Amino acid sequence: MTTAIVQAQSRTTTPSPARELPGGYAGKLLRVDLTKKKCWAEPWSADEMRELLGGVGLGAMILYRETATKGGRGNVSWDHPDNRLILATGPMAGLPAWGSSGLTVVTIGAGTNGPTSTQANGFFGTNLKYSGYDAIVIQGQSRDWVYLYINDDAVELRDAKFLVGKDTWATQDALGPQLGLSGHMLSVYSIGPAGENLVRFAAIQGDYGHVASKNGCGAVMGKKKLKAVAIVRGTKSLRAADPRGLVQAADDIGFDLRTDPSAKSLYEYGTLPGVVNLSRLGALPIKNYTTNVPPVDMSQWEAPKLREGFDHRGHQCSACGMHHCHMSVIRKGEHKGTIVDEPEYEGWSGAGWAIGAMSDIDGVAWLNTELDRACLDVNEFGWICGWVMECQEKGYLTEAQVGFRLTWGDIKGAARLIQMISHRQGFGNVLAEGVKRAAEKLGSPAKDCAIYTEKGAAPRGHDHRARWDEMLDTCTSGTGTLESGVPVHPAEIGQPTRINTFDGEAVAKFIAGIRGRRNFEDSLGMCIFTTRTRLENLCRVLNAATGWDVTVPDTVRFGRRTAAILRAASLRCGLTPDLERPSTRYGSTPVDGPAKGQAVGEQWEKMVDTWYREVGYDRKTGKPLPATLKALGLDWLAKDLWGKRASRR
Amino acid sequence: MLATTTHVLRIHPEKCTGCLRCELACSYMQTGTFQPAKSVIRVSPFEGHTSYAPYTCTQCAEGWCMTACPVGAITINAAGAKDVLDDTCVGCKLCTIACPYGTMFYDPDTRKAFKCNLCGGAPACAEACPTAAITYEATATADWLGEFARERTARVLAGAR
Repeated sequence: MTTAIVQAQSRTTTPSPARELPGGYAGKLLRVDLTKKKCWAEPWSADEMRELLGGVGLGAMILYRETATKGGRGNVSWDHPDNRLILATGPMAGLPAWGSSGLTVVTIGAGTNGPTSTQANGFFGTNLKYSGYDAIVIQGQSRDWVYLYINDDAVELRDAKFLVGKDTWATQDALGPQLGLSGHMLSVYSIGPAGENLVRFAAIQGDYGHVASKNGCGAVMGKKKLKAVAIVRGTKSLRAADPRGLVQAADDIGFDLRTDPSAKSLYEYGTLPGVVNLSRLGALPIKNYTTNVPPVDMSQWEAPKLREGFDHRGHQCSACGMHHCHMSVIRKGEHKGTIVDEPEYEGWSGAGWAIGAMSDIDGVAWLNTELDRACLDVNEFGWICGWVMECQEKGYLTEAQVGFRLTWGDIKGAARLIQMISHRQGFGNVLAEGVKRAAEKLGSPAKDCAIYTEKGAAPRGHDHRARWDEMLDTCTSGTGTLESGVPVHPAEIGQPTRINTFDGEAVAKFIAGIRGRRNFEDSLGMCIFTTRTRLENLCRVLNAATGWDVTVPDTVRFGRRTAAILRAASLRCGLTPDLERPSTRYGSTPVDGPAKGQAVGEQWEKMVDTWYREVGYDRKTGKPLPATLKALGLDWLAKDLWGKRASRR
Repeated sequence: MLATTTHVLRIHPEKCTGCLRCELACSYMQTGTFQPAKSVIRVSPFEGHTSYAPYTCTQCAEGWCMTACPVGAITINAAGAKDVLDDTCVGCKLCTIACPYGTMFYDPDTRKAFKCNLCGGAPACAEACPTAAITYEATATADWLGEFARERTARVLAGAR
């Protein structure tokens, strides 16, 4: 019998990578200067890989090092040519762990004008890694619209005139045939009209339905006049230090995801069960936070019902066994036959519940894909659209101001609003500035109905008045979105498995206690849903790939180091502690439903105080304390932030 | 058509989600590294990216590749798979032309032909597939593709989906 492995080795002619290159890494960063129209590969060292891993770990460091002004005291703004757009993957990308094609976008975002870390998946990570790069670092601004084409060592900035004005799906539809590639042979991440027109909550969308959506990263791409990044699946090979161990660890994670109660429903239905589950906690945002009592029969929103409602086709990311991402074909109604991306929970919430569309399930699914096509963040759109609807109902906004009458649950009207915002037409131009800026422009009483953080970020698609951990995290985060939540196996890092969710102090201690894990996950090049296993397993899979000996405490330490660097960059961008609070409506008290009367506002200051104490940051200036930084091995950052005082405190 | 019992890779296209895990596993078995470009099972998209199906050598009874090979480099291994003997293959590519299914490949790096050899009897693709879209099954005939095609044609002609 011929064993395949022997044959295999005899055929391996890919030059063996430099001896010190850890398994799982391609070993190079792809640098792109759009001003000078230059692309070059830059090697990075094994020490840097161990220190920064990839994803947000790598991105945060590049951002911190390369976007400073005024001798390190200031930061370039989101629209400056020196802003970096980092599209990073991680060591697990391209390897057989589930969902291992992760893309992390790190940049100074247009929403908060501060740092962003936002994730998507699809086949970006695998295609890039097989092309020989661990990340793309984009700087400068092009004069004309271009797209970045990557095919192994052939990297080109190509004319994108023919793509301008096209939505994200149409962009991929056009590039595939032009390059003669179909399916996952080509991964395309692009911006639609919203990104081209610098909408402050424009997203970067790719591979039909995967969205890096937070903090206006799409506007950054638009400002750089980069329409798309198209990556041909490369032909290079990725090595693992212990391939059998890697496959075994990956299979163990798969088993965990299939069977563990905390991941099982995700495995079966993705995030669909969120709608019904969160409605029971009062965390489903209904009609712009005006109520928490669903006025419709919730049985139609059960996950199996949602899935049965469409002609479903699996549309999994690289190497993923989850029954999560799907394409759906709408079976009935006005959009019958249309192919859409099955909405995530966030889609049902932002394109549905937040805007009062609670029965027209086909309509919501269609609207959600319209948002992906335009490249708008579905969460912020939900807050904007719901806010306009409420203000019109209450007479704070007139029909003449908006240009038409928009009432709760009006899918067609919402679609019209998408076009107005993404092309900055009429009142859409005001809304394109994001919910905070639009609300401030209008002033009270309209402003008091808007949902945002004072930093300028929009929360994810939950009613955080029943999820205080996420509200605190959203407000204090250095990424413009959740940075520490959601808890996964907290006992593994010494945190309680259950807390009183309306005890501000316990919530603050908890969210500070789990800090670090998420930034570690987001550095691996995997999906946040397939890392929903014990950290011990993630260490196993990472170590098998790289040959390292990373331990569970190392992972948390790593994540907190990344958080501290993002925090330092945030402060440099002017995002100071006084902005770390929810808007009036966001921090209000629910008037009905399961969380009725639970007043987060009353405990807010105490929560923030506790959080600062627990994470070891200075409450007044927002800086991580020198002792905190030194304990994380960030002496250099302590010096940057505190100067000579670093050694005295 | 062979009437003996044998093991074959059976493809269930309706179960495929396009995750390409089979290609990863295959390339690891074939090359010792993760390099799907060297996989001998390939997943193709259909119907506007909404459907996918893997496709590999069916180990057809005719064995066109064996017939075409001028140096006898293709033999049948213990698992019943047509297998390329690297030491004998001269890289003339005749087999890639002869194969009507497009499942003979040529590696420009090694200058040898390569194809699915059923991993010597434990196919990694079937093992790796998370949805059982690829199974390794005992069957009375090696030519399951013919039956599959006949059955599907009958269904399509009858107007069913």
